[in-house]
Amino acid sequence: MRPLHPSYILVAFVKIFPFITVTLATMAGTVFIGGFIGLLLASAKLSKNKVLAAISDTYVYVVRCIPSIVLLFIIYYGIPEFLQSFGISINDSSKWFFVITTFSILFSASMAEVMRSAYESVDKGQREAALASGMTEFQAFRRIVAPQAIAVALPNFANSLVKLMKEGSLSYTIGMVDVMGKGQLLIGLNQGSYGLETYIALALIYWILTLLIEKVIGEIEIRLSRGKRKVALGG
Amino acid sequence: MQLNIEFMKRAFIASLGAVPITLELTFITMVVSSVLGFLLALKKMDKKKNRFVDAYISFVRGTPIVLQILFFYSLLPTTLNYVLNVVLGLGIKVFDIDPIIYAITVFCLNTTAILTEVFRSALSSIGYGQMEAALSVGMTNWQAMRWIIIPQGLISALPNICTTTVNVLKSTSLAYMMTVQDVMAVAKKEASYGYNYIEAYLVVLFIYIILCVVIQLIFREAEIIAAEYKRGRAVTQKTFSRRWSYVKVKKYT
Repeated sequence: MRPLHPSYILVAFVKIFPFITVTLATMAGTVFIGGFIGLLLASAKLSKNKVLAAISDTYVYVVRCIPSIVLLFIIYYGIPEFLQSFGISINDSSKWFFVITTFSILFSASMAEVMRSAYESVDKGQREAALASGMTEFQAFRRIVAPQAIAVALPNFANSLVKLMKEGSLSYTIGMVDVMGKGQLLIGLNQGSYGLETYIALALIYWILTLLIEKVIGEIEIRLSRGKRKVALGG
Repeated sequence: MQLNIEFMKRAFIASLGAVPITLELTFITMVVSSVLGFLLALKKMDKKKNRFVDAYISFVRGTPIVLQILFFYSLLPTTLNYVLNVVLGLGIKVFDIDPIIYAITVFCLNTTAILTEVFRSALSSIGYGQMEAALSVGMTNWQAMRWIIIPQGLISALPNICTTTVNVLKSTSLAYMMTVQDVMAVAKKEASYGYNYIEAYLVVLFIYIILCVVIQLIFREAEIIAAEYKRGRAVTQKTFSRRWSYVKVKKYT
């Protein structure tokens, strides 16, 4: 058995580290687009329109059954050919497009659930009381319901975000050079040696990122639910 | 774009043949990890903090499963070979071991950590009052666990166990990286002859959706039965027949 070279872990760590920006940028794009679709889905789920609610429910149910790697491959191989039949060529477009499309689809489903459960967790009486005291529907949402709902949604949002980051590592399979992709490239450059050391460096980076996300969102949650706790303690 | 329907039919039948492998992987992983996760959860219920367990859970939850697969698949075989053959000199052909064993090991390592959290939160969701009441009527600590806390905890854990099972099933689609011949691998192999990758992946997608729906339906039944049990009614044949009355065959009536 080949001895482990702990010093190479550091070398790999330093080489991979700059590519965190790529991972974070794809995540940001996915959160933006996926979050927007999720918002639409959640409002469809909550709407009185039965058809819209059913469509949204089915979408979420089906998407949660899809393994991310299968969807990634379908999007990567399928979309260019599908558009080709309309005469649009996107073969030259960057990998970002495919990665963000795939993970937006997956992320929107979990975001729809997060948003719906957060909205429902706020007591109906809150909105009614706000309306009764003369606020408009928008004001009631903006000042009363949303702040409470966001505090409830944050832990689940953190979970989805971590899940997104972890599944995002699969994008190396289509040749995207993010943290994971750079790690694979390094192993390739070393002709397959130092594999274990590189994987350890990758694991450390992902672990640190996960802990950071959880920590930061935990802090925000504490800030947002400050008022709530005061009421609970005072009452 | 023209989908090759003929090929899709062929790939579907070929991939169906690999469904047992996928289910086997999921099932064994769930059973082994449930036992291990439950024991770890009981250990975590003690007030004493176990840093090793905490670090393990945090590590598994903080790293992508694909990385864990690559890591352990590059580590396990050579290490096993070294330990068994060089140190112990047993002369076992490690590299001939069915890769599904490695796959199960990796998925178990992953799922145990997740199920530990599931069981821990379920067990701690049962209020202290229950434990105190059980102790006050003269049960021992273990009896209280066995008859009061654990049955209730398992019922409240069911939805999360369902989610975990679905997630394990989904992550088995990565087992092809360990050369396990599961649905994904078989479909890929079929596709490689004529480069029909899109069709093959659509077939895989379809199979996974069906499997997930079936698993969720089974768990929903289990939850309904568990809810009856929780309400204090005896679970009898009646519970089943009421649920399944619409599929009753004529000869029973």
